[in-house]
Amino acid sequence: MSDWSKVTRPIPVPDEYTKPFWDAAKRHSLEMQRCQTCGHFQHPPYATCTQCIGVDLKFEPVRGQGKIYAYTVMYHTGDKRFASAVPYASIIVELDDAPGAFMAGNLLGSEYTEAKVGRRVEVIFEKLNDDIVLPQFKLAGE
Amino acid sequence: MWDNRCKIAVSGVGFSKVTRSADIPLAAHALEAVRGAVADSGLEMDDIDGLATYPELPATGHAEVDGISVVSVNCMMAMLKLPSLTWHIQVGSSNIGGAFQQAANALLAGVCKYAVVWRAMHNPRGTYQNLPGNMAAGSGQFTGPYGFGGPGQGHAVAYARWLETNGQTRDKMATLVLNQRKNTQHNPHAYFHGTELTREDYFASRMVAYPFCLFDCDIPVQGAVALVLTLADRARDLKPTPAYLAGYGQRLHFETAGRIGSLSNYMEGGSSSAKLTWERSGFTPGDVDVAQIYDGFSASVIYGLESYGFCKEGEALDFIQDGRIALDGELPLNTFGGSLGTGRIHGLWHIIEGALQASGRAGSRQVKDANVSFVGASAPIVTGTTFIFVRDPY
Ligand SMILES: [Zn+2]
Repeated sequence: MSDWSKVTRPIPVPDEYTKPFWDAAKRHSLEMQRCQTCGHFQHPPYATCTQCIGVDLKFEPVRGQGKIYAYTVMYHTGDKRFASAVPYASIIVELDDAPGAFMAGNLLGSEYTEAKVGRRVEVIFEKLNDDIVLPQFKLAGE
Repeated sequence: MWDNRCKIAVSGVGFSKVTRSADIPLAAHALEAVRGAVADSGLEMDDIDGLATYPELPATGHAEVDGISVVSVNCMMAMLKLPSLTWHIQVGSSNIGGAFQQAANALLAGVCKYAVVWRAMHNPRGTYQNLPGNMAAGSGQFTGPYGFGGPGQGHAVAYARWLETNGQTRDKMATLVLNQRKNTQHNPHAYFHGTELTREDYFASRMVAYPFCLFDCDIPVQGAVALVLTLADRARDLKPTPAYLAGYGQRLHFETAGRIGSLSNYMEGGSSSAKLTWERSGFTPGDVDVAQIYDGFSASVIYGLESYGFCKEGEALDFIQDGRIALDGELPLNTFGGSLGTGRIHGLWHIIEGALQASGRAGSRQVKDANVSFVGASAPIVTGTTFIFVRDPY
């Protein structure tokens, strides 16, 4: 299993678009930006709805279950911050409640070989410091 | 069909030495390529009155120093001091293919007579994607914390999805990579000219970001290429046989900032650019005699083959088998070796090779009776430009 203990993850810097997402993560909740006009979920947050150009956008709670949409297994050690964890799985997840809104994550708690397109995952939360909690994923039902 | 079909032509082309390390300033590479292209045309430098480039360095975490890590129009003009310069541009949103297209537009508008387009690429010291620091701000805040650094992983996720949703394995990609390395042996300017690659080498090579092994990724190099673009009537009076521009297109589908760009719909992106190119040129994929498709990562070629219409979605890895893409095959592909053979110079080399094939000037790698020559000059994902060059301007 990938050893994450020596990895120094870059700390996300919330901005005016993304602060509600990170505030929710700190409460161990997922909130995604949703267009109030057409109902479209999008991630990362954006100034306007990428589907209907609506400007009435709000963050709504969504459940943390979804499937792996795509993944890679990282072997390259060029990024020294992550070198001690290779090989590790970086995944893209499509949540059941927010189709089309892709979230990145690492597959934690399993061998990196368990990352496959379509596999069920659920969110877990990794505290980076007192201000930032990072949504992550593990295989569902484990 | 396009009113300006075959009214523009590529004339001379030029190449610098391609080296792994940056022993001399990048400006010297760019100058060597530009001088080569002007001389190949039979022009004098003072005849050049238009300049176009895309000066971006695709590495991160390195200082942009003009003349060292990028070569801007200003830097080129400082070296050449062209007495009759009447037009210039450096594009920001559409890659080097967009710079070429803008030069074509300027020539058609009559605001310059002989435009030089160049692409110079630097290989910085140390790690190419140098991602120091403890913070992930802006578009990186949803990807950086998970180890998504350079473009390699971003493209790898799309390739893994393509493989699994289409029930394919990466083994078949060896055919593409080996064919291109074979073609590279006919291109004396290429970085890997003189270095063979075997099937065993491909399968024994280290993984970078699954499904990409080392040989699926173009090697960072220092070098430059250039071409002279002019009106067809003028090109006919110059030294080389002209390669006529029958049509071009741009990608019309854009992506939200911060999302992993490679997860865009490449079929929508690539086909929107290719559709314009087919319509303007009057050709279809079945008419194409030879194709150059951007290959910074090997998987870009499969997205290109599918979205441009050479084969159906999900079938590209089967399409490239059984000699179809070899120099004497049905659709000779990346005949100059591609970026996987030349090193990372981006798509202007693909455009140059498309022009050389159309004008019958590709030497020992010349495809016999090539008339319709297709180019996809960047990945259909994120940004994309496509072109058709022909030998016969009718
Ligand atoms: Zn909307």
